[in-house]
Amino acid sequence: MEILNDSLLTFTAAGRIILAILTGVAAFSTLWGCVNLCRRQPLLPRISAPLLVCAATLFLAGFALIIWLHGQIHQLLPLVLPDELVPWLNRQLAAINRSAAYGLPLYDPAAPPRYLLPPWLENEKYFFWFLCSAIMALFAHRRMASHRFRAALHLLLAIQVGIILLAANPFAAPLPRFFAEISPWFAEAAPIRKFGLFMQLYPKLTFYYNAHYMWVHPPLLFLSYSAITIVFITSCLMLSRRDPAVETLGYDFAKLGFLALTTGMLLGYPWALKAWGPNWWWDPKICSSIMLWAVFSTYLHTRLYANKPVMWYFSSFLGILSFAAMLFTLLASFFFPGEHTFQ
Amino acid sequence: MPQRTASYDYYLILASVVVLFAISAICIYGMFSFKFAQVQNMAPALKYAHMDRLNAIVAPFVVALITILGICIPKRLLPTHWLNRFAVLLLTVAGTVGFAFGAKTALLLILAASLLLQFAVLALALTGSQRIRFERTGYWLRLGSTLMHLGLILFVLDLYFYPYPTLHLALFWATTGATTLGMLFCFYAQPLANLLQPENKEHPACTE
Repeated sequence: MEILNDSLLTFTAAGRIILAILTGVAAFSTLWGCVNLCRRQPLLPRISAPLLVCAATLFLAGFALIIWLHGQIHQLLPLVLPDELVPWLNRQLAAINRSAAYGLPLYDPAAPPRYLLPPWLENEKYFFWFLCSAIMALFAHRRMASHRFRAALHLLLAIQVGIILLAANPFAAPLPRFFAEISPWFAEAAPIRKFGLFMQLYPKLTFYYNAHYMWVHPPLLFLSYSAITIVFITSCLMLSRRDPAVETLGYDFAKLGFLALTTGMLLGYPWALKAWGPNWWWDPKICSSIMLWAVFSTYLHTRLYANKPVMWYFSSFLGILSFAAMLFTLLASFFFPGEHTFQ
Repeated sequence: MPQRTASYDYYLILASVVVLFAISAICIYGMFSFKFAQVQNMAPALKYAHMDRLNAIVAPFVVALITILGICIPKRLLPTHWLNRFAVLLLTVAGTVGFAFGAKTALLLILAASLLLQFAVLALALTGSQRIRFERTGYWLRLGSTLMHLGLILFVLDLYFYPYPTLHLALFWATTGATTLGMLFCFYAQPLANLLQPENKEHPACTE
């Protein structure tokens, strides 16, 4: 693990600088957002777009830094076993594979297993989610000139930066659970203990960290969460005024969100079969995700009739409810036990 | 924003909304019952009993959803008065089959009928036929909507074939393909039409 120390120090130091600048931008955004939300006429409208561009650029820089750290982990931390254990291990793996629906690849000493971590693990997932939100906020900003709508986008961004700083900083202590899992491997020298640790780490490396589905299932869901957040802002605005342009903007983001949510949920299914087997139906996270999908799908159906006054308000209420359902789905991972738990 | 008045479609949408809300409520109940019963710590047999109990609770609403789907699909092919007759006929036949052979067979019958009709709608949508009845116009939009609904039928059918892993996974990928393509065609009909037929930019291939 010492081999990674320099990279971790660089990562933390660079991350701290990015977050410090991002905090400054978020402070300006909060100020601009609060003032413009309360005013009838826009104040300093020209600084709105540059602030959002700055925030999105900083999020992109942070995301690039996370990718760099994962590249270092891939390069520097292979799971190398002593040569004398390899035939024994491969006999064990072959025996396991005979009775398993989805087998583990045999160990190849010429190419030992390496972690190929996706950049949305642990706290990084919030950073990726808010990166998507920042980029979507830029697009939404271009589409709608309303200063109150833009103010809401700024406040949303500021809240997200606040969450990163206070509760989900990916740079302060990078990947704590991942490093807690793999540290014993790099501290252990006795071959028999090393073998035991390998058998603990290898299935998780194969079916979780390095799984192909890991590159599509979570990012699609975070993309949908970002789109639902923009739908939430447009739905709130719809409650205050009947402007079809606001509804159309919300619908455009809802379409993207629904596409990402449905595809992401569907792609989680074969992964769950592979990693957990069949015994995971009615898992709380699955329930809440189906609930979110059902509510969001209802929103998309009702907005077809948004020309009726009742359906206009019902549709905007459902947009807000979809956001509440999304938050509930996210928080479910903390408070409900099951396969997706963060407890 | 589309301008629409109340229609058969509208009431079917309202019925779908009610059923989807009920399923959402059951999902929330499922979450809390999982937590309070500590299902994650149960022996496999008790876990399966918990899943069976929740399956039994949600089953009537899934049946309602399948039935709405069964009534919804022929609306693309039939006028309203024939649609009413078709709905009554479908429910009568399904009820009789259910009484004679069990609820599962009746549901399979509705799903099979829906699937056949949806394939017919798909064929007509693919050929660009004007005989199918959509409230919205445009080739890609109609094709997308058809594929999305085909994906939904395949998904429910896929759950039916859960005990057969190979067929189950094959159907699952067909579901995913149809749904994703359907959403892309339906939601991005205009950019797609512009991309494939740039000369038709002034005569949009779809309207919402």
